[in-house]
Amino acid sequence: MDVQELIKQQVTAHPVVLYMKGTPQFPMCGFSGNAVRILNALGVKDFFSVDVLSNPEIRQGIKDYANWPTIPQLYINGEFIGGSDIVSEMYQSGELQALLKG
Amino acid sequence: MVTPESIKHSIEQGMAVTHLAVAGDGAHFEAVVVSDEFAGKSRVQRHQRVYQTLGDRMREEIHALSMKTFTPQEWQEQQ
Repeated sequence: MDVQELIKQQVTAHPVVLYMKGTPQFPMCGFSGNAVRILNALGVKDFFSVDVLSNPEIRQGIKDYANWPTIPQLYINGEFIGGSDIVSEMYQSGELQALLKG
Repeated sequence: MVTPESIKHSIEQGMAVTHLAVAGDGAHFEAVVVSDEFAGKSRVQRHQRVYQTLGDRMREEIHALSMKTFTPQEWQEQQ
């Protein structure tokens, strides 16, 4: 399957998807760790995570998919929400909580 | 090595800013960008606009760029 197709399938098959470096248990980058920490703080336990370090094709493909050059990337209900900064801002403002409830 | 000044230069060349500050250690950088161009844009669109000014540098040289983006009005309210 084409990597863009695969990504589309992943983000639509799961309500919350995080593309990150490492795993939720062992994040390999502070920004990815930050995103995991926020999802955990919001009680989102069963999000689907993809370790881009062990998937080089997805690591490149995801940057094109969202026109976004950095990792992590958070998707909710198929929609690209943002990277570490935006996820933090939306958590602090309460917007992320509202999105996850909706 | 990538310097904050070189990132600042790329952003300034690529878009109209009213205030711009960049700090960093060569791998991780932080930027505050204030621009009229951000009016009516989502957070994602604002960051994409800044990333656009950096082009392939984001993929190759710069590991991480943390950003805060404001319109001039939002920036004034921050002060």
